[in-house]
Amino acid sequence: MDPLPEGSRTAASSVKRWVDPSFSELSAQSSDPFLWSKTDTKNPKKRKGGAFSCQRLESDQGGQDESWVDRYSPQSQAELAVHKKKVEDVQTWMNAHRSKGGILVLTGPSGSGKTATVRVLSQELGLKVQEWTNPSNVEPYSSWQNADWRIDGLTYSSQVTQFREFLLRAYKYGCLSMAGDGGAAGKKLILVEDFPNQFSRQPSSLHDLLRRFVRIARCPLVFVVSESVSGDGSVRSLFPREIQEELHINCISFNPVAPTSMMKVLGSISAQEAVKSGGRTSVPGQAELEALCSGSAGDIRSAINSLQFLCLLGSSGNSGVSRTKKDRPASGRRGASRSNQKTKKTKTVKDQEEERAIGGKDAALFLFRALGKILHCKRGGHTEVPSPALPPHLLHHCREDLLVEPEVVVERSHVSAEMFNLYLHQNYLDFFSEVEDVERASEYLSDADLLAADWTNRIILRDYSSSVAVRGILHSNSHQVSVGFRPLHKPAWLQVSTKHRENCLAARHLFRDFCLPAACLQVELLPYLAKLTNPMRNHTQITFIQEVGQMSLRKHPSRVKLETLTDKETAPEEEEEKEDRGLVEGQDQSEEALTASQPKPTLSRALLEDEEVSIEEYSSD
Amino acid sequence: MSLWVDKYRPTSLGKLDYHKEQATQLKNLVQCGDFPHLLVYGPSGAGKKTRIMCLLRELYGAGVEKLRIEHHTIVAPSKKKIEINTIASNYHLEVNPSDAGNQDRVVIQELIKTVAQSQQIQSSTQREFKVVILTEVDRLTKDAQHALRRTMEKYMSTCRLILCSTSTSKVIGPIRSRCLAVRVPLPSTEEVCSVLTSVCKKEGLNLPPELAKQISEKSGRNLRKALLMCEACRVQQYPFSADQEVPETDWEVYLRETANAIVSQQNPQRLLEVRARLYELLTHCIPPEIIMKGLVKELLSNCDGQLKAEVAHMAAYYEHRLQLGSKAIYHLEAFTAKFMAIYKKFMEDGLDAMMF
Repeated sequence: MDPLPEGSRTAASSVKRWVDPSFSELSAQSSDPFLWSKTDTKNPKKRKGGAFSCQRLESDQGGQDESWVDRYSPQSQAELAVHKKKVEDVQTWMNAHRSKGGILVLTGPSGSGKTATVRVLSQELGLKVQEWTNPSNVEPYSSWQNADWRIDGLTYSSQVTQFREFLLRAYKYGCLSMAGDGGAAGKKLILVEDFPNQFSRQPSSLHDLLRRFVRIARCPLVFVVSESVSGDGSVRSLFPREIQEELHINCISFNPVAPTSMMKVLGSISAQEAVKSGGRTSVPGQAELEALCSGSAGDIRSAINSLQFLCLLGSSGNSGVSRTKKDRPASGRRGASRSNQKTKKTKTVKDQEEERAIGGKDAALFLFRALGKILHCKRGGHTEVPSPALPPHLLHHCREDLLVEPEVVVERSHVSAEMFNLYLHQNYLDFFSEVEDVERASEYLSDADLLAADWTNRIILRDYSSSVAVRGILHSNSHQVSVGFRPLHKPAWLQVSTKHRENCLAARHLFRDFCLPAACLQVELLPYLAKLTNPMRNHTQITFIQEVGQMSLRKHPSRVKLETLTDKETAPEEEEEKEDRGLVEGQDQSEEALTASQPKPTLSRALLEDEEVSIEEYSSD
Repeated sequence: MSLWVDKYRPTSLGKLDYHKEQATQLKNLVQCGDFPHLLVYGPSGAGKKTRIMCLLRELYGAGVEKLRIEHHTIVAPSKKKIEINTIASNYHLEVNPSDAGNQDRVVIQELIKTVAQSQQIQSSTQREFKVVILTEVDRLTKDAQHALRRTMEKYMSTCRLILCSTSTSKVIGPIRSRCLAVRVPLPSTEEVCSVLTSVCKKEGLNLPPELAKQISEKSGRNLRKALLMCEACRVQQYPFSADQEVPETDWEVYLRETANAIVSQQNPQRLLEVRARLYELLTHCIPPEIIMKGLVKELLSNCDGQLKAEVAHMAAYYEHRLQLGSKAIYHLEAFTAKFMAIYKKFMEDGLDAMMF
């Protein structure tokens, strides 16, 4: 490269500053290109080392490029922001399976400290972590077959094959014992965070692999699976219960990081940063940290990232935008600490908006928790009488303040309003004790259905509908008693209405030769046919009559089986209303003779009955 | 072996058992050679279809009894395929357009067009028009009814419509005014009795008049139901005894038990049980409106006179919502809960009044 004149050289460095991706505030001062190259070369080396221990010792300047998440990654158990109990669980498991094979599955939302826990604990126990990462040089279409093949002299093998080899070989070859390694060599732990894509399509291949692994393995294997609300249910499909039991897979589920421990971490990070930067970085106040904390919804990684971002904005101090951004939360939060937030609901909502401005994460609730929030109906202690007290005849409508914002809960549950209403409807009765309350709640539900019934304005009204239902149920439960744990169920209505529709269609199809309108057929003919001995019917008709025409008159029917809604489950896909579906049975003949209903000349009868027989044979096949 | 209902269905206007005067009028109508569009209405089981078939036979002769089921596929303008079954003879076509749900307008237009555009071949010996029977006209959408109005005028020369419905209230005015309305009322109890007796006689059975009366009362003068009941009685016990119990359908018994469950206890757990029973009824193909109606009937017979007006009012309120809403269970359950609350309050008040 030609040596540049002095002027253009500075220009180049300023351009470089423009494209600089890091958060570094140092870049403003370090116009010296030499310094840049130095940090650049330093970073990869450090990352390659992958050791966590030396990171803290990074020089001031070198560390600036690194994100805080990496720099302040926990080094000891005490620093982990995860609940102690969970850490202990993982630790006992690791101790037990140190030198023999075993499989552990860690689940939890992203940023709840799963990987950090594994790394910290394995370091403390002297285990070497071998991590699987999906190789990127694999042809994308090669994943559907396991065989290796050769093109242009290069060997390709599918991800799955590579993964299998990794798993089955990883423990075999101990690390070459280096001088500094001490006695820890040979003890390993395999960590899998990335799954080859193939496994989500064919979980059984993973299961086979795991079976082999369990037979021969001598080192622990840890899977880390993040789960999200939009839930592809990867844990359930990858590690179904049978497999968990068969292979003795332990499963530990992490919760989102609790606000208190997150506050501790954020506080210590910001304190360290303040010391390090020597006053150049403005330290965010307690209130701001709290805002971050609640905005991140228990995701510590995103919280730390936001913190870094926030400090950066504060330090530059030249742009008006950042000033206002920083100011707003502070002013909004004056006096509104977490403890009395209950009474200032409107304020909380406003705060939540602001948290998003800082760069928080969209909080999401699992359906199970969302329903629980509504049905258990937490209300605040009665703090103050609302300024215009209710007149005496309306006193029975007086309720304490809600601790939850119903609309927010519904929104975060990620299901449609109708679906949420159905779930509420399925479960609300368990939480009521008085018939009068139930009466009001059921009326609200009926209102809600009415609101969303008309398809032309359903899109607009469905939010109102869920609001009416949720608030109605919250309000009408006047004698809220703590009921303890109640299992929640999936709505039976979906199943029932599908069955209803199917049966009606089938009835119309099977008995169309009676030429009756649907209602007559279902209400009069079928039930009586069940009572008559009529030999003319074919087999399917008889089964259908027995199934639909007759009802067991036992006291408590149990045909509609309730499916329990489990903790992290997501709502099923909503089925579309099938308004006018064609008849399902494949044996539609364009012309078919009438058998029983209408009067007809006897001559054609014999012929027709022949045809009838042939149909019977066809259907019995 | 076909059902008695079908086996002994009268086939000509002269053989009809009741409303004979109307039968003669219809006969006269046909003998003029031409007739206007007809709108035949009346409650279920009164004999509308029987009457229509008799009329067609009078019109076209025995050929009209050669029926076949045809399976039509119609492509809607939105490229959606609609499949529908029709029953046809050489002279007429019977279709229930409401089977097609929202697309009933297309069915009406297309089917009638096909029928009306094909001329009768031997117009010298036959009538010069075909007949299209549309059943359950009251369930047609407004859209379809307006389409029907237009179609009626357009193909008047080659096609006559006979509309069949349970009530005229849901049929739009223009259609009503274009048709000759024929009301087929329910047969009286005596008429039902006589039909039952004559059918039993043809079967070679002896039906005691008391039992016939009991059946006809229990059937609510619905002749189809009465004949089915009678046949079920025959299966249950023969020779008949005068005080034999008339078999009811399972769902009616089940519904009554449900009503009893509601009256006997009022709390959320009971409501949960009732909900399960309602679901059970729905899976057995009982339409929600009929469940509602049956429930109200049973509840009304179980509760005090003071409550009846209020209960009926609530029933009407929720029945209306049932029609407007999309998921029936909400409204059925709301009605049940309402009844429970009213009933419980009434009982508690009564108890208080007794104490003091």
